[in-house]
Amino acid sequence: MPNHLYRLTANEVAHGIKNREFSAQEYISQILERIEKVDNKINAFIVVDKQGAMEKARSIDKRLHEGDYVGDLVGVAVGIKDNICIKELKTTCASKILEGYIPPYDASVIKRLKEKDAIVVGKLNLDEFAMGSTTEFSKYGPTRNPWNLDYVAGGSSGGSAASVAASECAVSLGSDTGGSIRCPSSFCSVVGLKPTYGCISRSGLISYSNSLEQIGPLGKTVLDVVMVMNAIAGIDENDQTTRPMTPTLPSEDIPTSNRLSKYTANQNKRNIDIGLVKELIEGADPVVSKCIYSAVDLFESSDCKCEETSMKSIQYALASYYTIATAEASSNLARYDNIRYGFDYNPEGYEWNTYFSNVRNNFGDEVKRRIIIGSYVLSAGYYGKYYLKAHMARERIRQEIKSLFEKFDVLIGPTMPILPFKIGEKLDDPLKMYQIDIDTVIANLAGIPAISIPIGFSNSLPVGLQIMADEMCEQTLFDVASFFEKIVDIRRSADI
Amino acid sequence: MYGSGIYMISKDELKHLGWLSRLELTIGELDRYVSQIDEIIKYFDNLDTIPLSESEHTYSAKEVSELRDDKNRVFKWDTLQSLKNRKDGFIKGPKMS
Repeated sequence: MPNHLYRLTANEVAHGIKNREFSAQEYISQILERIEKVDNKINAFIVVDKQGAMEKARSIDKRLHEGDYVGDLVGVAVGIKDNICIKELKTTCASKILEGYIPPYDASVIKRLKEKDAIVVGKLNLDEFAMGSTTEFSKYGPTRNPWNLDYVAGGSSGGSAASVAASECAVSLGSDTGGSIRCPSSFCSVVGLKPTYGCISRSGLISYSNSLEQIGPLGKTVLDVVMVMNAIAGIDENDQTTRPMTPTLPSEDIPTSNRLSKYTANQNKRNIDIGLVKELIEGADPVVSKCIYSAVDLFESSDCKCEETSMKSIQYALASYYTIATAEASSNLARYDNIRYGFDYNPEGYEWNTYFSNVRNNFGDEVKRRIIIGSYVLSAGYYGKYYLKAHMARERIRQEIKSLFEKFDVLIGPTMPILPFKIGEKLDDPLKMYQIDIDTVIANLAGIPAISIPIGFSNSLPVGLQIMADEMCEQTLFDVASFFEKIVDIRRSADI
Repeated sequence: MYGSGIYMISKDELKHLGWLSRLELTIGELDRYVSQIDEIIKYFDNLDTIPLSESEHTYSAKEVSELRDDKNRVFKWDTLQSLKNRKDGFIKGPKMS
């Protein structure tokens, strides 16, 4: 039996199992062994479903033996961020508030992964209710960066990125509201995609800010991310904000026969027009900008046109994002009253308001801060000053980006303005923590897709490049990202 | 922290906002949060730097007008079996005063 099966990409696993090079059970045993060996160091998993994973592997091997059809992701070990519901498996959002919650249904993305015969191995750590940028705000402790255990893995999908970088699973699902997939992807040297708003169903994703968030895939390669997208993307009647996957090119009309039904990672590169957003580069640490400029040189030497461009509306993007996100959070978290779901606390004998206050005091500091700020910006007298203005700012950002995409195919810049930092470093200053989201919130506000790909290391810490494209133009992102992957080989598997 | 001028938000306002969201903030929490939240709200004043007209609003990219037919559908109660605090087909809750 081949060793180190846990190092394989999703593509290699699916092919290996289909071609009987190794069985699903052999692969999953090695994955579970790997998790047992390294997870006490990085703390990526909240729950590991050993029994469920082995049962599914057994059933896949049986079906293969009988010559039955198997899905495109057959046997692939997937980790799921713990704010996505899986039937009969604990879902906590890393919070005391949902400590005892066992969902009675599968999220739509989970149903789709199961249909393709992927194997869910467990639920991954996150900042409580997906509010944070480092996975330090989790009831289960921080997730550590597999490249240097004293450093943060990023957030809020820290577990999703760290588990892939540490080869504990081949691919994972995260959620991205203001950068929560791209930030940890950049900090952990993996590929992470935030799709166009409406591309992937949010049914079964526990809401934080529903006009901004999207579920998205993380993997070691662009091809792995593409394979997961092909499994989970598309309209869902359970989520009325989902839209058809047809890309909207600004000037050309795509003949129906050429319309994409699946994404590919074939690097069918056309002459790409790349816009380098000045404000994002200038706001970044010099060690980060240096890596970005090296990437630009590589693009230019391969016949891509790179031109510097400006996005004036970036100056109010962060304020707009945090106003809207906290406002929606204050509303979405109002449902947590411990009556229908939650932790063990008998309501008998308690008066209504006292019970709810006692329950809701179990939110962490960051969640409480965001609920309070959200209530503030929505309150009478302040609504016009903050919330309404934030929406107008959002529309301005969206229009400016749209006009940039008339000139450029993609816009690039650093995913994060800084390198990963030490655990505990920014905990006492929430505003400083918010400011590291400056590069990523734009894509959420505008609803456009954005991908982070590894482009190098600085001081032995990973740096990510962010590529943004117009609405529903994920294929353009995959074209550029896989092209870059072909010309530069960056390490994606941490030695741990 | 106190030296930087007027606070936009007072501890009393914070306590009140907490109450509106059913969060009974402790004295320790009020002390901790007031300067942090004040700083964040002051940062939001960035929104005042844009010249804005009334007409700039984001509209949904999709026409959400598809409602299902108005037909009676039986609710599957077995999905609620696992709910906590159930008794005799009801859900237990705290008492209204």
